[in-house]
Amino acid sequence: MNEQQRMLRDTVDGVFAELGDTATLSKSWPQIDELGLPALLLPEDEGGFGGTWQDALIVFRLTGFHVLALPVAEAAIAAWLAAGTGLEGRGTIAGHADGKISAERFTGTVRGAVMSEGATFIAAPAPDGGTLLLASADGTRAAGRSNLAGEARDIWQFENALFHRSPADVFQLGAFARVAQIAGLLDSALAMSVSYVNDRQQFGRPLGKFQAVQQSLASFACEAGAANSAATGLAVALDRNNAEYEVAAAKLRANRAVGTGTAIAHQVHGAIGFTQEYHLHPRTRRLWSARSEFGGDSLWAGRLGTHVAEAGAGRFWADITALNG
Amino acid sequence: MQTFSIEAPSWPAHSAELRARVRALIAAQGTADKPLATLNCWNAPSPAFSRALGEAGLIGMTWPKEYGGHERSALERYIVLEELLAAGAPVGAHWIADRQTGTLLLRYGHEEERRRWVPGMARGEVFACIGLSEPNAGSDLASVRSSARRDGKDWIINGQKVWTTNGHHAHVMIALLRSVPGSERNAGLSQFVIPMNAPGVTVRPILDLTGAHDFNEIFFDNVRLPETALVGTEGDGWKQVTAELSLERCGPERYLTNTVLFTQFLRAVGPNPSESVRDLIGRIAAETWTLRLMSASVAAKIAQGEDPALEATIVKDLGNSFEQALPELIQAAVETDLGSDDALALMLGHLLQVSPSFSLRGGTREILKGIIARGLGLR
Repeated sequence: MNEQQRMLRDTVDGVFAELGDTATLSKSWPQIDELGLPALLLPEDEGGFGGTWQDALIVFRLTGFHVLALPVAEAAIAAWLAAGTGLEGRGTIAGHADGKISAERFTGTVRGAVMSEGATFIAAPAPDGGTLLLASADGTRAAGRSNLAGEARDIWQFENALFHRSPADVFQLGAFARVAQIAGLLDSALAMSVSYVNDRQQFGRPLGKFQAVQQSLASFACEAGAANSAATGLAVALDRNNAEYEVAAAKLRANRAVGTGTAIAHQVHGAIGFTQEYHLHPRTRRLWSARSEFGGDSLWAGRLGTHVAEAGAGRFWADITALNG
Repeated sequence: MQTFSIEAPSWPAHSAELRARVRALIAAQGTADKPLATLNCWNAPSPAFSRALGEAGLIGMTWPKEYGGHERSALERYIVLEELLAAGAPVGAHWIADRQTGTLLLRYGHEEERRRWVPGMARGEVFACIGLSEPNAGSDLASVRSSARRDGKDWIINGQKVWTTNGHHAHVMIALLRSVPGSERNAGLSQFVIPMNAPGVTVRPILDLTGAHDFNEIFFDNVRLPETALVGTEGDGWKQVTAELSLERCGPERYLTNTVLFTQFLRAVGPNPSESVRDLIGRIAAETWTLRLMSASVAAKIAQGEDPALEATIVKDLGNSFEQALPELIQAAVETDLGSDDALALMLGHLLQVSPSFSLRGGTREILKGIIARGLGLR
């Protein structure tokens, strides 16, 4: 982490900590805009910070760590995809688009649009590759759905809508955002768990003094470490502009950490962690949602497994080392 | 809170060249077509291959030239290690000397002992073993009872070490001994360098459950050592051993040993496997990719002079669990006749049997998790 990245981390950490898990779009977005976070990845000559994907990781991870219910990552990715198109305002991203593209127009359904109410445009995976950028004024928000944590994941209908295109893959970038958030959310749930077992007394001593509890939390720390490492590996690959292998590997590994991490977090908290009042669930419910969003295990394992099997035994190790030297 | 703060390594510019060189050396020594010879490779001794690596300047890479080393960077050394392991090259003879004994001698050893042992280690001719465990000091290392007692300027060593990998090939051991009579736990311990051919040293084999000879028990019966044999400061043994264990735990051997089994599996299932096998391949590739990042990150931190003990422990624990799970996952994924002489079956059969040792050697899973828990602020 360089000096500039440390400054970015400290600033964003402070703001997100203050906003916390009660932030709302209507109340808190102006603060995000003021910080310029949606323009994080835009080149400086387009009014952005010229940030790298490793810079983005710092911010995206902290949205997870502070359980921020604001589409900061989605807005930054959408703005980057829309650079040069003239689309302005808060954009967002969606996981799926089904429909037909003919004569520069799109007719179909966009699903999984993240907190899209009030967004000016939506970036969705094009059925024929790359990304479609659709102005929300050209479509209808057909249904407001939400993920397990109550965050809006909307469905939109478009009828002969004009669109812009980006050759970049919004699905891949969405997966990166989720990997970064999983990394932050796991660290946050781990910190909560450690603090809880150090306070909570049973049998006359803190739960944290019991070896069974210590060993569980050590396993949790290993998984959180793996998710954070996978996120960094993916960010480095995105900065190199070729992350086909890494996005699959990172999302798979982060997804795996979700299972172990959420199970242990709930186990060491006991019944209180299962209540609505106690704030473990905003973390674990986001983690369970993130595991499916922008590709679950079966999708990414299928893609990566196909690639590795086709490359063959002789290429397995050589390819892994060729990825980053 | 970020438990594992990862540092993306800046790989040296010529790393591809270095990899190609190591790959060529491995190809020349000819285990590529003998699958069984590639298993558990950092416990497979081949003095001839060790000498070849020594000649090529690939042992003691980071040590000073004055002691036969090559003053290369920690990441260059890391590249060499991971290439050797991924190919299953037989590096067992010199592995311990290169990983910890030489480094420990250079850091703490008496000048005479450094001159005596380190250049031979760098040539791949002098091999080492580790004298930590004893019959009553396994995970509880502070229970060490073997003793070093002063006799004039000399030291007299008595006692027993056990589970000594490579003891029957080694020329030298660094042992943790109780040098202060009547001392308790981790106080009063010191490290000593012991020539394995010194009068009074006896090596006896312990066969593992496959019948292989890797472990030994070592007896010391009034072994007389000169004053130069004391490594570091008397009474600082525990502190020095902790640093030594960091070296022992952080390397890529904790997750790469079974890569040869996975590549054999890829060979066996071919380019177009069933959906379930394809998914398994994806998951294993993801795990390997992640562990490599973590392991290389630890190497990068060590290269910058940090001591990432907690991160190293996390990598060993995750890596051991992965290596241990791999044979079982592959056994479940394809129908295999473990009685056949098919290469995958032979490798699988062997690794199923030796994999329990992965989470024992170099610190048990329970000890590692205890260290991580302390790092989290528990205990």
